[in-house]
Order: sequence, then C-alpha cells, then structure tokens
Amino acid sequence: MLSTLKERTGEVLLPGDEFSFETDDSISLTGPVRPEKVVCGPGLRRSGDRLLVCKSGVLRHKQPHMFWMDSQQRRYVPAKGETIIGIVTVKSGDVFKVDFGGSEQASLSYLAFEGSTKRNRPNVQVGDLVFSQFLIANKDMEPELVCVDSSGRANGMGVFGGGGLVFTVSLGLVRRLLTPHSEVLADLQQLFPCELVVGMNGRLWVKSSSVQQTLVISNLLQSCDAMTAQQRRQLFRRVAQGAL
Amino acid sequence: MKDTPLSNCERDFLLKAIEEKKRLDGRQTYDYRKMKITFGTDYGCCFVDLGKTRVMAQVSCELVTPKENRPNEGIMFFNIELSPMASPAFEQGRQSELSVKLNRQLERCLRNSKCIDTESLCVVSGEKVWQIRVDVHMLNHDGNLMDAASIAAITALCHFRRPDVGIQGDEVTVYSPEERDPIPLSIYHMPISVSFSFFQQGTYLLVDPCEREERVMDGLLMIAMNKHREICSIQSSGGIMLLKEQVMRCSKIASVKVSEITELLSKALENDKKARKEGGRCGFAESMPQERITALKMDETSVEMTDVTERAKDIVQKTEAPPQLVRSPVVPVPGVGQVGQGLQNTWGLEEEDEEETEECDNSDEEQEEKVTKMEEEEHEKEASREGDVVEISDSEEEDVVILHPETPDKTPKNTESRSHQKGAAASKKRQKK
Amino acid sequence: MVCGNMAGLELLSDQGYRLDGRKASELRKVQARMGVFAQADGSAYLEQGNTKALAVVYGPHEIRGSRSWIRHDRAVINCQYSMATFSTAERKRRPHGDRKSTEMSLHLKQTFEAAVMTQLYPRSQIDIYVKILQSDGGNYSVCVNAATLAVIDAGIPMRDYVCACSVGFVDETPLADLCYAEESGGVSSLALALLPRGGQIALLQMDARLHQDHLDALIEAAMTACKGVGKVLDEVVRLHLKEVSVLTGE
Repeated sequence: MLSTLKERTGEVLLPGDEFSFETDDSISLTGPVRPEKVVCGPGLRRSGDRLLVCKSGVLRHKQPHMFWMDSQQRRYVPAKGETIIGIVTVKSGDVFKVDFGGSEQASLSYLAFEGSTKRNRPNVQVGDLVFSQFLIANKDMEPELVCVDSSGRANGMGVFGGGGLVFTVSLGLVRRLLTPHSEVLADLQQLFPCELVVGMNGRLWVKSSSVQQTLVISNLLQSCDAMTAQQRRQLFRRVAQGAL
Repeated sequence: MKDTPLSNCERDFLLKAIEEKKRLDGRQTYDYRKMKITFGTDYGCCFVDLGKTRVMAQVSCELVTPKENRPNEGIMFFNIELSPMASPAFEQGRQSELSVKLNRQLERCLRNSKCIDTESLCVVSGEKVWQIRVDVHMLNHDGNLMDAASIAAITALCHFRRPDVGIQGDEVTVYSPEERDPIPLSIYHMPISVSFSFFQQGTYLLVDPCEREERVMDGLLMIAMNKHREICSIQSSGGIMLLKEQVMRCSKIASVKVSEITELLSKALENDKKARKEGGRCGFAESMPQERITALKMDETSVEMTDVTERAKDIVQKTEAPPQLVRSPVVPVPGVGQVGQGLQNTWGLEEEDEEETEECDNSDEEQEEKVTKMEEEEHEKEASREGDVVEISDSEEEDVVILHPETPDKTPKNTESRSHQKGAAASKKRQKK
Repeated sequence: MVCGNMAGLELLSDQGYRLDGRKASELRKVQARMGVFAQADGSAYLEQGNTKALAVVYGPHEIRGSRSWIRHDRAVINCQYSMATFSTAERKRRPHGDRKSTEMSLHLKQTFEAAVMTQLYPRSQIDIYVKILQSDGGNYSVCVNAATLAVIDAGIPMRDYVCACSVGFVDETPLADLCYAEESGGVSSLALALLPRGGQIALLQMDARLHQDHLDALIEAAMTACKGVGKVLDEVVRLHLKEVSVLTGE
C-alpha cells in the first residue's frame, strides 16, 4: 500500500477513493521484512484494512511515511496545539469567551497568561485580539485556549493588535505562509517592512509603517489566495515598482 | 447564526484609515465600487453586482381586482428578501429590523415617487388591473444593500414586458408572448438611491460603504434621486445628528452619482435589447464568464502607490545614522563567535505554528549586520529558542567586550560574515530600488 | 410641482390660507400634560391640532427577554409605536406589527438613541411606548414630541429636547405641520426631528418628488417649525415643574 500511496502523491483524489492491500502483495521469505507503517493525516481515514479518502484535494507525502490530503477550506476546525487569532467576546468572572470562527466559542481562563495570578489580572477587554493556542480541542468538549506554553512562558502569545488590520483568508494560504521556506513570505519580505501575525484559523494581522502600506499588504495577501505562483510574483513585482 | 464580532483593533484601524481618507479597497471617499448589471433570459429579471454585493430582482405581473379607493389604478408590490445565503447574520423567516427598513425604503423610493404610471395598468376599471410584483433577493451581503436593491428594482422594471391585453366590448383577452409582443411598462423616471455613511459623529463621510465600513459607521443617510435632479426620498437612519449643510452637500454629491449610474443603467438596457434583437444568446448563464475560481477571486483595484517609494526614501534619510559602535561579538560557546542576533534559529524547530515575520527597516541597510531590532513593535523574542546561548540584552548600548587573545582568528571570520551580510544587505537594497 | 387637488379643495388658497384656515408657516395648537400615569416612570399626553398621542416611558431597568441585546457600554432603547383601532376614519385592523408601525418604531428608536445619554446606564434597557389615539396627520412628529415629554418626566438625562414637525411643499411655499388632508393630497412632505439648541437633525425623512433646489428652503422651514414646537414644549415642562414644586412645598 505504501508504494501505491507514494505513486499517487501529488494527484487529485476525491472522496471515495480507496487504498487497499493488494492481494498479491507477497511477503518475501528471504529478505528482512519490516512491517509497513503509514501515518494518515487529515483527509484520510482508516476503515477496516482499507484507507479511504474523505476530502477532495491533492495527496501529499512527507518522509518517511506521513500522508495527508491537501484540501482547500475556509471554515476552521480546532485542533490541539494550533495557534489562532481570536476575538474576546465576553468577559465573565474568571473566564473569557473567545470567538475564533469555529462552531462554538472557546474559553480562555484569566490565569492562562504569563505572569498573571489571582491578584494580578491581565488587561483584556471585550473586543481585543488574542494570539493563543488550543489546550483542548476535540469534538466532544468545549475548546479551551491558553496564552502560555507548557513551560509557562508567553512565547509570543497574548493580547495584541494596536494599530494593525485583521482580515480573513483561506486556510490553504495560511498553511502556505507557515511552511518553513514559504515562497509567499519570501516575496512579501521584499516589499515593505511589516509585522505579520498568522493565525491558523484563517485570520491574519498586518501592521506596517503607514495605513496605506498596511492596506496594500492586506489586499495583496487576500488576492494572492487564488493566484498561481507566477501571477503572484508578477503582482508583487508590480507593486514593488509602484506601478499598481 | 452569529456574525463574527468586530474587534477593537479593526474598528480603530478602520476609523484611523478613514481619517486619512483611505478606504479598505483603495477607493476615494466619493467613489462607488465597480457595478455590473446583467439580465436573465426572461424579461424582468436582472442581477446587480456592486463590488461583492450581489442582488437579484424579478418582476412579475398578474391580473387582480383593484383596491376599492383606487379603482382605476394598478397595484405595485415590493418585497425584499434577506436570504440567509447572503450573510451569516441573516436568519430565515424572521422579519428582522434590517428587512423592515429596506422594504420600507424601497417602497418609499419607488412607490411614493410615482415612477410608474399606475393608471396605464388598468384593464377594466373597478374589476381588473395589473398587479406588478417586484421581488428582490439578496445573494451576497458586502455592504450597501439599499443602493444595490434600488438599482436592481428599477432596472428590472425597465426591462420588464407585460402581456398585451385586448378588450372587445365586455371580453378581455390576454395575449401570450407568442401571439403579440409584450409591452413595456410606462416609467416616468428612474429613482436611484445613494447611501452616505457617517463616521466620528458626522465628521467623515463615505459613499457606498462596504460591509466592514458599515459595521463601524455611526449612521446612514439615504437619498433617492432621479436624473432630473428631483429628490424622491430622503431617509436618515442610525443615531447620527446631521447638520443642514451636510444634508445639502450630500444631495449635491448624490445628483452627480445618480446621473452616472443612470447612464450605466441605460447602457446596460441598450446592450441587452441589442443582444436580444440579434437573436444572440442572453441570460444569466451566458453572462457568467468562464471562471475557474470565483469565491476567493478579487478584482484588481487601483491602489495609491505613487508616494510610497518617496516616503520610503524619506524614512531612510530621516532615520539617524546607526550607532557607530559595532556590536561586540558574543562568545556563546568557546570556539564560536556570534555577532548580532542573526537569523531565526531553526534548529530543532518542531512546531511551525507561530512564526512572526519581521523585516528590517530600511534604515538597517546601513548597518552591517541584519539585526532584528528589538523595539516596541515586537511581541515576542526568540531568546528562548537560543537554548544555551547567552541572552542578549535589549539595550542599544552594549558593553564593549574585550576580545580574548584566543579568539583573534575569529575576527577575520566575523568580518567575512559581516561583509557577506553587508553584501546581502546591499543586494537587497538594489532589489528594492 | 403639481399641487394635489383633492375633490377641488385647494391646499393653499390665493390669500395664503390653508384648508383649516392657517397661514403657511403656522403650527397647529399644541396642548400637553406630563405625568398622566402613576404606574409608569414617565408619561405624557400631547395634542397637536386633532392628532392626539400618549407616550409612556419605563426605565432604565434590567434587560428582559433575550440577553443577547445587552450592550456592555450603553443602555438599549426599545420603542413601540401603535395606533389605536379607533384612531383613523376606518377601523384599523392591525394596531401594531405591520410594516409601517415597525418602521415607525425603528425611527423613534433611532431618534431617541441620538438624544438620550445612554452611556450613563450600561447593560440596561429603556422602554418607550407611544400610542396614537386620534390621527390627523403628522403622526411621527406628535409621537416624538410626546415621547420627549415622557422621557423628561421620567428623569432620564437627555442632550436636548427633541422636537419634530412635518412640512409640505405646495406652490413653491413650504407649509408647516401638515394635517391628514394635506398629507394624503400627494404633497411632498418632509418630517424632521431636531435638537433645537444645536440645530442638529436627529431624523430626516422625505417622500415624494421634490426638486433639489427647493430642498434648502424646505429644511429651513422645517427647522423653524421645530424650534417653534420646542418653545411650546419648554413652556409645558416649566409649568409642570412649577406645579410639582408647589406640591412638594419648596
């Protein structure tokens, strides 16, 4: 099965496509046999001894044996450990309710900030932006956010946002921005100096030295969602020349 | 379904941008978004695209008994549907405030201004008159529903053809479109509404607000006019206080806009008439261009970019010369010298989730190292990533560290790295220009 | 501008007299009383010519019903406008809930949100109920005037009086304070709610065709008429306060 998966990496697959062990997959009796291990990522599901595709998209592969479906989506489903940009909606007692664009609002305790104690509460108002990560995010429980990492340090999380603009893009663009050698990011770096916060729920926050530049960058990011790399580079080049 | 709440940061940014006369999509304060009018295959069906706001209007007619107090006038009935597909904030079935407001405004704009000759809709006085029904459906809500709805409604009415009616004595025959050509309605004038949104207690004014601007606005003033400069309806909404001068100024702007829009409208009607006469295929399916991706596509909008390079140069000139003293090399581990912070440490980087990208300011070009400045703008430091590297303090002035005699061979290495980085910085500079 | 002819009646005669004998810029007689109900926090009854309206204010009190209306920084104003079934010539089938009444309630809400200082009472609700007992034109204006008095009676702080008046345009002349016959004659009418001291317009509503050049004159006439109404309301309030202070023995 590993070989078929590897063959079809990069192809567009539809829900209903399946991978199964070939019947004439023979195990050689002579050479050393290691059991095949395949790690299924999002979009692939195991059903009995078959592997089913449940989202339409492109099959991707990461060494040594990780496979997943790269699909386009706009609605975010929370997953543990992912960092997102949320908006505080309700401040009630000890807990803030944060809207991150999912099916329900997540709760964020006031103690989950760096350096906050019962006496020393963090300065969070309704309507503020928070950059935080999911502590609990499964389908059975209310999602819970924290603004500290496991060692208790903020590590960049917390309330932020003065002076910038927050906007929504598709999840695919966000993932592209967060890959280690992101092309989009590299192109963007050549334009203007700016600050960028990327939330995995599809929200981006941009701040640049002037309102004009911030607007330009936010418009560029929103429009390069659906462009090929070539078109995007062309667009960025035009902007850099000031011709747009 | 609940709509995404508006964060304080967005509201502040939008208001600040409006104060600087910058709109989100690069328009001027009095500009409309790109408007596109297309027609369906039937007479009386029209789609209006105002930027991303999409509205559909359909006109239909039927013979009914007239009202008792007006026996020889036809009946006009308007209905605006806020379909839940337009926005997550719209709910099915419930008659929300917005729906009532839009309905009443459209009625006032079109009915009270008597744009249609209702007496010509009379067939048999007191018994049979035509009831013209205009249904407007919102398909996508991106601000300024009222204007789009009014344009769609009046265009659909102009486009509509009702069946011809023949009267012989007591007999009334309604001819189908195949027997006799349907006749258009008699329209006196075309009222079009223009919406103005007010911000900061009436200090700033924008025409054709998009959805985000609508969320931060104080109030809305809707003026419906026709191209003969007659005001058909004025309605102010939201809790704003207006001054008479503002109202007068808005009415002047409105008259200009209305004449532009009326021209566009008549041109669209002309084109459609021509297309139908030539027998060409017309209709909604034809008018949708072949687009691969429709949802996330954005139209090209011109963005004011002219002064950016000058301003960038300004910033470069105005910033002070960088501090002359070279950052002293830090010796984290014997045998390794480090000058400056360097690039982000990607060793042992498992999580890719949070990355904050920061670019050097242009002023850093002069500096020899590409040092990421520790300023208020930063929100987190990557210091924790260094592991066992010496924590570098935030202060600008660094103590001069006396180089130990064991590490004189490091200096040429450092200069190399320095020059390499300078080269990189210089090439970066070249690229920017 | 075509003048509406209703069965041969002229809305403005050659000598400058209207259907009920008023001059063009003359208001109808305004009579008002405050504090007519004991149960409510504030109430008022106002007559403008033949149009009679009753306004009642409750609040600021806790938000009832849906908690989603709570605003964390200001009070929510809830208005309801209804017409008594006997108020018009033909019996009204639906006193409230139809589109016109809902729209009227929305307009009232908008007007008072501009005038009442809601930031002083966060997370609370102020109710304003207005009922028309007899309708003879200028419904909206009479409601606003009555509600102003009721809000003042309830002691809720306001920026200024809110005075409203309707004006029509006939024969190049603005007519102030229209009655029903004039309104239904197809005259272009403008309803204006004004805060007289600052000259700020809280609500502006106009129907029917009017050439742009006449707009200035019409708004001017409306503002003058509103200021006139404002003076009358002011007198009523002062009289009422004097009576009350006499009763409390000061």
